[in-house]
Amino acid sequence: MEITNLFNLKNRVAVITGGGNGIGKASALILAQAGASVAVSDLKLPDAESVAEEIRQMGGKAIAVECNVGKDEDLVNLVERANAELGGIHILVNNVGVGGGGRENPFKIGVDKFVWVFELNVFSAWRLSQLCAPYMRDGGYGSIINITSMGSINKSPNMSAYAGSKAALNHMSANLAYDYGQYGIRVNCVGPGATKTAALASVLTPEIEAKMLAGTPIKRLGEVEDISGAVLYFAAPVSEWVSGQVLFVNGGGVQTLD
Amino acid sequence: MKKTELLNDLFSFDGRVIIITGGAGAIGSALAELLGNLGASVVITDINEERVKKVAAEIQEKTGNEMLGLVADSTDENQLRELVDKVVARFGKISGLVNNVGWGAATPIWGSDTDKMVKSYKLNTLSAYNLTKFCMPYLEKEENASVVFSNSRVGNTPSPEFIEYSTAKAALLNMARSMAVVGGPKVRFNTVLIGSVDNGESTLDAGFTVEMLQKINDSIVMKRRGFPADIAQGIMFLMSKAASWVTGVDLTLDGGGRYESKMPKSD
Repeated sequence: MEITNLFNLKNRVAVITGGGNGIGKASALILAQAGASVAVSDLKLPDAESVAEEIRQMGGKAIAVECNVGKDEDLVNLVERANAELGGIHILVNNVGVGGGGRENPFKIGVDKFVWVFELNVFSAWRLSQLCAPYMRDGGYGSIINITSMGSINKSPNMSAYAGSKAALNHMSANLAYDYGQYGIRVNCVGPGATKTAALASVLTPEIEAKMLAGTPIKRLGEVEDISGAVLYFAAPVSEWVSGQVLFVNGGGVQTLD
Repeated sequence: MKKTELLNDLFSFDGRVIIITGGAGAIGSALAELLGNLGASVVITDINEERVKKVAAEIQEKTGNEMLGLVADSTDENQLRELVDKVVARFGKISGLVNNVGWGAATPIWGSDTDKMVKSYKLNTLSAYNLTKFCMPYLEKEENASVVFSNSRVGNTPSPEFIEYSTAKAALLNMARSMAVVGGPKVRFNTVLIGSVDNGESTLDAGFTVEMLQKINDSIVMKRRGFPADIAQGIMFLMSKAASWVTGVDLTLDGGGRYESKMPKSD
């Protein structure tokens, strides 16, 4: 493969959930940098629109779509609009994630809350994969990237719903990689460690950060660009023989809230 | 940053000096060519001087970047020290190391012995330990210094057909993880676990027939064995700036894996 083609996503269309901020935004931007047209979806349309506009400003093509990944009609709408307005679908980044933060006391968490975490973290990724895969198969290029978490393999206090859902996402991805491989569709996960996002900021204290860094060989917390670099790797032809993997981007360590 | 400038920056190897052991082989030379094309000065080593010089010259011709071919027996501690000295004398620094040398043959699980096991450990594991140790003082001075270990899927799955090779590779895997824990923040250590790769003639030399290889292709999720470039691209990513917060990981490059046993069936 020519060097210039390793990361070339020209004429590729990417769909991303939770694309308005944080890791989703960084991923949308780097995929656009590589030439992809991007359907940026978010629960908050103005956030998605702002990222889409940033992509258009740098000469790329993007649309913003309001999407609550807990609603099937929103997922169907996202996929239909991406295909109709951008011309096919080749890359899917399931970035939306909810729960975690040590707020899942097993004595108190309600069934509804637990189900909600699984619906958004696992079911939406499965359903969007199902909706996008036919376009990927017919378009001759497919890469699905699911954003999991170090929580998927760590044990953390009061994290059973989130961590359980992320572990489910890992293994679901590995199985989908088997199912979709014969159609040229790859499925991989990126597993961020503690990354500087709004979600982390809501639970981070200087004491927790110091403790996290003590257990992290590369002495800093993650930046969103650390994670989007791995997303680009899995999205691009550079990894065309890589599927079913979870790549942890965590500075070599384990960062927990306890 | 403008479109494409960011990508050029993330995957630029300009000014970096990278050693690849076993660099005259299929994967090593594919990696040398890729890194050379991305701007690195590359030193490849091999046990055969004539071959390593020839391959280095060929790649230099293709990439236009300096490619040094040095003879070194990776099982000889003194030769590895000399290798490091030569690289530093020529380039003044070492910014990356790919411990790529390795070899193994099929052995019945109870057919090995102390000599064969030790020989495999020396070649597949100790060679990487020694060279990494000798490179560390130089790696620690460089920005985004990175060591990658070429490992194999036999190193983390039961592999009774390759008992000497697989146990040495398993040791190498844990060695890399241990180095990662103490190596940060200055040096990153990562492993690639390589599946079945089309190494051209050397695959046939290892006793595989064309029919066996076709069966392997069919059994892989992505419906083909890897090309050396597939592996080189994974290693390149781990060494790039894009992976600057990635250390201590094992990245499997195996086309999604297989449904069947690693050994081809004879029927």
